[in-house]
Amino acid sequence: MSQDRVRVRGLTIHRPIIYGNTATLLTPAERELLPSPDHTHRWTVAVRSAASDDEGTRVGGKDDLSYFIKRVTFKLHETYTNSTRNIDKPPFEVTETGWGEFEIQIRIHFIPESGEKAILLYHHLKLHPWSATGTDSDVPPPPDVAAALGPVHSWQYDEIVFFDPFQQFLNTLTAHPPTPLPKTRRRPVPFHTANPASLAESRGGVPEFWAGMEKDEVERLERARKKVIAEQETWRTKLIEKEKELERLKRELGES
Amino acid sequence: MAGGASAADVRSILSLPASSTPGPSQSKKSATSTKKPEGISRELYSLIGASAPTLAAQVAKPRLKQKPNLGGGGKVKWQWRNFKNGARTDGLELGHWVKAHTDPDAEYPFAKYNVKGTEYTYSQDDYTRLLEDPAWSKEETDYLFSLVQEFDSRFYIVADRYEYPGGTERSMEDLKDRYYSVCRKLIRNRPWAGDEASKSQLISSFQFDKDREVTRKKYLSSLEDRTPEQLAEEEALYVELKRLEQTERRFKKERDELLRTLAGVDSGLPDLPFDEDGPLGDPKKRKNGRLAELESPATPSSATFAAPPPRRAQSARSIAYDALHLISRTDPPPASASTTKASHQAATLRSFKIAYPKSAVAAKVTQVVAELGVSLNRLVVPSRDTLAQHEALLEAASALVETKKVVDRVDQDIRVARARLGLRESEGAETPMEVDGEGGGSAPAVLPEESRAQSVVSTRSARSRKPTGASRRSGSVSSVDASVTSTTRAGTKRQKLS
Repeated sequence: MSQDRVRVRGLTIHRPIIYGNTATLLTPAERELLPSPDHTHRWTVAVRSAASDDEGTRVGGKDDLSYFIKRVTFKLHETYTNSTRNIDKPPFEVTETGWGEFEIQIRIHFIPESGEKAILLYHHLKLHPWSATGTDSDVPPPPDVAAALGPVHSWQYDEIVFFDPFQQFLNTLTAHPPTPLPKTRRRPVPFHTANPASLAESRGGVPEFWAGMEKDEVERLERARKKVIAEQETWRTKLIEKEKELERLKRELGES
Repeated sequence: MAGGASAADVRSILSLPASSTPGPSQSKKSATSTKKPEGISRELYSLIGASAPTLAAQVAKPRLKQKPNLGGGGKVKWQWRNFKNGARTDGLELGHWVKAHTDPDAEYPFAKYNVKGTEYTYSQDDYTRLLEDPAWSKEETDYLFSLVQEFDSRFYIVADRYEYPGGTERSMEDLKDRYYSVCRKLIRNRPWAGDEASKSQLISSFQFDKDREVTRKKYLSSLEDRTPEQLAEEEALYVELKRLEQTERRFKKERDELLRTLAGVDSGLPDLPFDEDGPLGDPKKRKNGRLAELESPATPSSATFAAPPPRRAQSARSIAYDALHLISRTDPPPASASTTKASHQAATLRSFKIAYPKSAVAAKVTQVVAELGVSLNRLVVPSRDTLAQHEALLEAASALVETKKVVDRVDQDIRVARARLGLRESEGAETPMEVDGEGGGSAPAVLPEESRAQSVVSTRSARSRKPTGASRRSGSVSSVDASVTSTTRAGTKRQKLS
């Protein structure tokens, strides 16, 4: 047992997760059944594994994360009753209805064996369809257009990184290897504001995270970097030319 | 041959009639020789027999390649044509003989060999930050770089032409050392467009060890400078050494044999060391001593080579295991450094580690990055690779912003200098002859006009103008411009030669 409380130094292990929400526009009939008929959307905010199951009915959630996550706390807008929702068993998600977007505070608590403190992250609840610019300042489209676009998905991939984990916790983690992301794109990609070009690819169904997204992003960043470096080259040449001129001017000043 | 000579052969040689009852070898031979494959001699075949088909196939008579059909057997038509070398900038047309059927509009095939090495340049800012060296001034470094550029990194020529006014004597190693160290520093400190491996590869290609190079050349020259007497002596010494070695070996062997006969089996050593105390001292003890002695020099080298690099050598299986469980390993820090709980790094989200630009340049970097369509602090897939890429991007962007800042500053300085110069010139306009006097040019009346014009136009246009009106009067304006002129002129010359 004492062996289990030893930290494995020099080892870092991570688990991919996604967090975010899916929102559906309610039909007038559905709205009438609600206790508060001014609510326009039904949404689900969740913390899930990054890999999706094969049916493709929802984003992510193939693996059960409860082997290392003990509890997820979602702190909703204060106007909701019991605005702090503690979810102690999977699926770690909250489904509600509402009419407005707001920031949701998500706190992930780990199992005690991990010896880790909870981590806090934020998600902006997204109800209205993505626009090309991806900014929230846009006026949401009229309901009929929004309805035609289907449910709205807003998901962020992330990795929970554990440094020097306890041996016992490490054993727990390695007993549950996460499902790798699919190597090929099977469904639409989740839209992300950092990559506005993915808007077209995100249309047409429930999105799924796949392995190519990382490569894609690496390439995108690399292209940008090459551009910056090329730009830097031209500026450097410019600078050297200018310095030479300055030197010449100074010499002329000194001479005359 | 001996095996192949059968009784029948002997008989035929001795002109004896063939025996009525042929021996077994005779019948065997006639049976096999009928099947003998082409291109194998009879003698060889009777040696190897039929049991070596692959060998036989290989030995089969080599067939010569068909002669290539050059020019269709007929006459080749040649034609004198003018051509342009795409690698030239002056558009010179030369003529050469070509086969008549080649495409007259084709690119000159040798143009592609006119490759230029990457030119490394640095600004004043780069220089003060990275390249300061007490033994070198910036002007001299500039001069060196211009020469290296001019002579295409041919250091023998560079060293030959190297003549920096007022500078110290520089050997070729000095020049190489300075040039390569500057290049290395520039590469190391600049944002790199490729991956890390290619960067370190490039850096290592600029590696230069001056001391070693000097030693090497010294050694080589001493090797070259030996007199015939020395050579003969060396040879004699070598022969002597070989002889001594041989004698010693023989002596040792004899001694061992003697020992064995004297001490019996339990001395049991092939080579006992010679000992004044007498051969029968204590063989065991001596053996240990001898072995230890043998091992001691060997130990350090064997330890360094044999010991695997700790923890680095990972089997493919453990790599796969780590990949599956998303584990990454680093060398653990020294135990003393992190035994306390306080130093433990808490679990975190990868995205919390996204790099952020230095606050001094943050606003500008954000702008640069935004222009490229990259979000400053959000990633679609925050992973180790993307984070590293993102950080590299920010670094590059920061460097760009810094460069732009320096450009602005220099611009400002130029404006100030020009304003002062303009002021000075309007004041001193009545005494133009004195100004020219310093230049000492052949056409003093033209000079003030010239210099004023140059102060207005940029260096680039001044440079492009000069080779056309290449009189020495431009040399009096500044030495920098003079060197530029000579660079371009010599460059043209080289291109003409190539």
